[in-house]
Formats: sequence, structure tokens, C-alpha cells
Amino acid sequence: MAQNQRPKSLLDSLGEEIIRILTPVSICMLLVVLLVSILNSSSSLSVTSSIATIAYSETGSDSSWDKFIGALLNSLVFVVVVTVATFILVLFFYLRCTKFLKIYMGFSSFVVLGFMGGEIALFLIEEFSVPVDCITFLVLLFNFAVIGVLAVFMSKMPIIVTQGYLVLIGMMVAYWFTLLPEWTTWVLLVAMALYDLAAVLLPVGPLRLLVELAMSRDEDIPALVYEARPVTHHDSASRPVQRRIWRERQNARLDSEDSSSLNSDLNSTVSIVQSSHNGARIARVEEGQVSERDAELSAPLIDRRMDAQDGMSTESLMLEGMGLGSSGAIKLGLGDFIFYSVLVGRAAMYDFMTVYACYLAIVAGLGITLVLLALYQKALPALPVSIALGVLFYFLTRFLLEVFIVQCSLNLLMF
Amino acid sequence: GYALVALGPSLSLFIAVISKKPFLILTLLSSTLVWLISLIILSGIWRAFLPLNSTTWWPFAILIFTSIAFQEGLRLLFWKVYKRLEDILDAFADKVSKPRLYLTDKMQIALAGGLGHGVAHAVFFCLSLLTPAFGPATYFVDRCSQIPFFLVSAIIALAFVTVHTFSMVIAFNGYAEGNKVDQLFVPSVHLAAGMMVIFYFCSHVYATPSCSVSEPYYVQ
Repeated sequence: MAQNQRPKSLLDSLGEEIIRILTPVSICMLLVVLLVSILNSSSSLSVTSSIATIAYSETGSDSSWDKFIGALLNSLVFVVVVTVATFILVLFFYLRCTKFLKIYMGFSSFVVLGFMGGEIALFLIEEFSVPVDCITFLVLLFNFAVIGVLAVFMSKMPIIVTQGYLVLIGMMVAYWFTLLPEWTTWVLLVAMALYDLAAVLLPVGPLRLLVELAMSRDEDIPALVYEARPVTHHDSASRPVQRRIWRERQNARLDSEDSSSLNSDLNSTVSIVQSSHNGARIARVEEGQVSERDAELSAPLIDRRMDAQDGMSTESLMLEGMGLGSSGAIKLGLGDFIFYSVLVGRAAMYDFMTVYACYLAIVAGLGITLVLLALYQKALPALPVSIALGVLFYFLTRFLLEVFIVQCSLNLLMF
Repeated sequence: GYALVALGPSLSLFIAVISKKPFLILTLLSSTLVWLISLIILSGIWRAFLPLNSTTWWPFAILIFTSIAFQEGLRLLFWKVYKRLEDILDAFADKVSKPRLYLTDKMQIALAGGLGHGVAHAVFFCLSLLTPAFGPATYFVDRCSQIPFFLVSAIIALAFVTVHTFSMVIAFNGYAEGNKVDQLFVPSVHLAAGMMVIFYFCSHVYATPSCSVSEPYYVQ
């Protein structure tokens, strides 16, 4: 009977949008941690040479200072490449070559799913000695990649398939990034966070230009953005559905092709030839989806995200961003997923305690960024806060906390 | 197996109560974070003194005492933040014409907070040390050589999760009603549980069956 039911409390639905965006980020991080712990248990010594290590390849015997300088050079090169790529993307957008961009993105996402997914699957098959033959494997892989591309592009698919595929793409790219040498990875993360900050907030930054172009023209570029399922409130009766209230969206595309191989200057082919470890092709495509949502707590927020990629031939841009699209649901760019997962994956290579600490730090950073978004109501970079907190917590945990806890636990002191 | 021993009840609590309401998940995560930060600060302070000499027991007592005092202080701080949050939520509820927070809601928030603390304890003291447990052998500590170390830490973690979870609820209740008894109950329980380990040290002098004796005390 209606009298027995209490009216729904506020607490029932308060943080729902945040949870909806937090869940896929957590799932992606979890998958990357699993992959890293399974596949890296035998310490792999092969250094993937790609554009990220073009300046310096870290070897085990260099002194710390050398490693640091090398890592710095690597990241500098990387950031420069990404900047150039972003500017070229802005140029394309300005000249309205959207069809070309769209096709290119579709192609690159196919390659990501196909080749990188295939590589990871090969690692797994090797690890677990799964008996499967070539032809079956190829057929399955091909189907998987095709569905992935369709899911990302067409909006007719059930949303959970699209979301799942976006998470998988993020996971694959993040796994590839964790194969980089250690110092390079950390310095790269910090460099990308700083770059993100600069590119979004400075008036001359490429991402900001892109957003302003998109807004002024009132159109979208297809790009890879994770859009959380919109929240519909069942008990709000006659509230009109607000469509397209905030037309700010960012789409950033990031395509990068990376053909890197061990013998570095082989592979003149842009079409990636499968080489043992290092074919990594990252393409990011962003796509915004239009969905409807009751806007209650929402505010127009745009964050940008950047995806960095190693590319030898073409550049890739990824816009990272969080924002409410024209639908009102929270959108998070795929690059954010990737960099968070890279951080957590790298932490997993050390120990699980750092994983938990970094996970909590990243979630906290994400929360803070969302709050800032609600306050400032303009495009904000989603990367810096979380990465800063994550790196800070990683180093604190590694050097301070672990000793403390191991000491206490060994003496069975707990509190 | 060990992970489930340590986290089983909290997992069921999580699924039953907390996963329905997203706000509680957020509370859980933030309280876990706060606990982690407190641990990091404590480890920073104590780093200079480690590794401790393990034959005497009084440095450990000081360690536990300071840690618990710090954490109880944090609990008070958490309470103050919670009061402010409650006001904001009530104002918001009025704005969107939903009912104000019920008592059960408040208790649920307290529960989520306490669970967050408990989970953080279990994770950091028990789960993160479990990585060696995946291998074939097991590990014993000198202090307590009958039960494998992992099992000991799992059981202790279980006890502490319970302690933390409910002490948060009791503490919030106590602060809300200004009930002194409740307010003092929580830190004393925390302190007592922590001090139990000192039991180990004293019993180190005596025979070895001590540690299997102290285990039931914990579960009480």
C-alpha cells in the first residue's frame, strides 16, 4: 500500500552520476592491474622502443641521474609530439575535414582493437597454454574488432556494449604504456598532467581552441568519449526533459599510429605488421552520444583530456575531458581512463599496497575535479589533480607506509 | 580464502546496504581515504624510529597509543565535517522538495564511514601482505608459531573491521546526543583492542600456546 512506503529519501539517488562514471574507471583499472600482474610476473626485459623512448632507452645499469635525464628527454619529446598533433587536429577541424577525420579514427580504432587486442590475447594464450589454432583465433579477433568499431561509432548499439568496448580500448592502450621503462613512465605521467593543464587553461592552448571552435560552430567532431548512462529520475513527475541545454562538448580525437619495432627502422609500412612486442597503434576516437537526462544537479562542465600516444607516422590527439554533453550526462574522455590505468598498472608492478593507495588517490582526485567542475563551469583538465595525488601517494606509500605496516604486522601489532 | 575471512562480513554488508545508495559508496571511499592518510602521516612520524627493537614491549605500546590517539582525533574531525554535510544535505533536500534525512539515513552514513575505516584497515594490514600467500608454502612469525601468519592477520583484520564499523556508528550517536558514556566507549574499545597485542609480548616470556589463547580474545 502506498502508505507503508516512505517517500524516497534524498540519499537514494544523490551521488549517482558520480558513481556511474567511477565504476568504469575502476573496472578499467582493475583489468589493467590483473593484466599486469598476470603477464609481468616474469620480468620482461625487452624494452619497447617507440617514440616515447626515442631519446633514451633505459637500461638497468645506468645511474639514477642518467635515468632521470633520459626520462625527462623522453617525455619532452612525447609532449612535443602530442602538442603538434593537437594543433593539427585543430587545423583539420577548422578546415572542416570532418569526414576524413572520422574515417581515419574508425580505421585506427579498428587497428587498436585488432592488433593490440591480438597481442594481449597472444600473451595470455602463451601464459595459460590455451589450445587454440590460428584460424579460429584470427576469425574471433576480426569479429571482435569489427564489432568494436561499430559499437563505438553507431549509436544504435545497446549502450553497455559501447561502454564495454571503450573500457577495453582504454585498457589495451594503458597496458601498452606500462611496458615502458619505469622512470620514463612516471616522468611521462607528470609531463602529460602538466601539459593537460597548460593546453586547457592557457588561452593559446590547442584544446581550448578546439573547444571554442566546436562551441562557436555548434557542431561536434566524432571522438572517443566515455559517456555515462544518463540518470533518469523516476519519481520526478512532470519535469520536462531538457535537451541540449549545454552544447558544449568536446570531442577530441586522437589518432596516433605507432609503428615501433625492436629493430627500430624497419616497418616503413604504416600498416602495422605484427612484430613481437611493440606494435602499438593507438587511435582514439571520440564520439559523443546524445542522450536525455533530467538535469538536476548538473552543470556544464567540460574537461579535456589528452591522450598521448607514440606515433611515428601520424600524430594523434586525444582530448580528454569531462563534461556534460548535450545530453547532460557526464562525459569522460578516454585519455583519462588510460592515464589513470597506467598509473595504477605501474603501481601494481611494485606491490599491491601501492595499488590500493593509488586507487584511492585517483578516485579522490576525480571527485575533487568533479567538484571543481561544478564550481567553475568551464573546461577543466581532468588529469592533473588525480595524477598529482596518485604519484604523491605512490611515493609516500612506497617509502613510508610499507616499512611501517610490515613492521607492525610482523609483530602482530594492529590498530 | 584469507581475503574472504578478513573481508567476508564487510562484503556482505556492502552488498546489502551500501551498494544501493551511491552516496554511501562515496562516503565509504572518502573514509577509507582519510584512514589511509592518517596511516601515512603516522608512518611518516614513526619512520625515524623504525625498525624497532623487538624484545622490549614498551616502544610498541607507545606506538599503538599514539596511533590510536591520532585516529580518534580524526574521528572527531570526521564528525564535525559530517555535521556540516548534514546541514548542506538538509538544505538541498528542502530545495528539491524531498524529505530531510531520516535517522536511519544518518546511521547509514555513519555505517558507511565506519565500514570504510574497517576496510582500509583490512586492506592495508592484511590484504596487501597476502601476495606471498599465493605461492605453495606459508609463513610463520616467531611470535606466534602455531598459526600461519596470514591466518592470524586475517582473523585480526576481521575483528578490527567489526570494531571500526560499529564504533563509528556508536561514536556518531554519542556525539549527536552528547552522551558522554558513548563518547568514551569508542576510544576505549579501540585502545583495548590495540593493547591486546601487548598480551603477546608478555606471553612471549611464558609458554608458546599464548597466541592461540589471545586469538579468541580478539574475536570477543
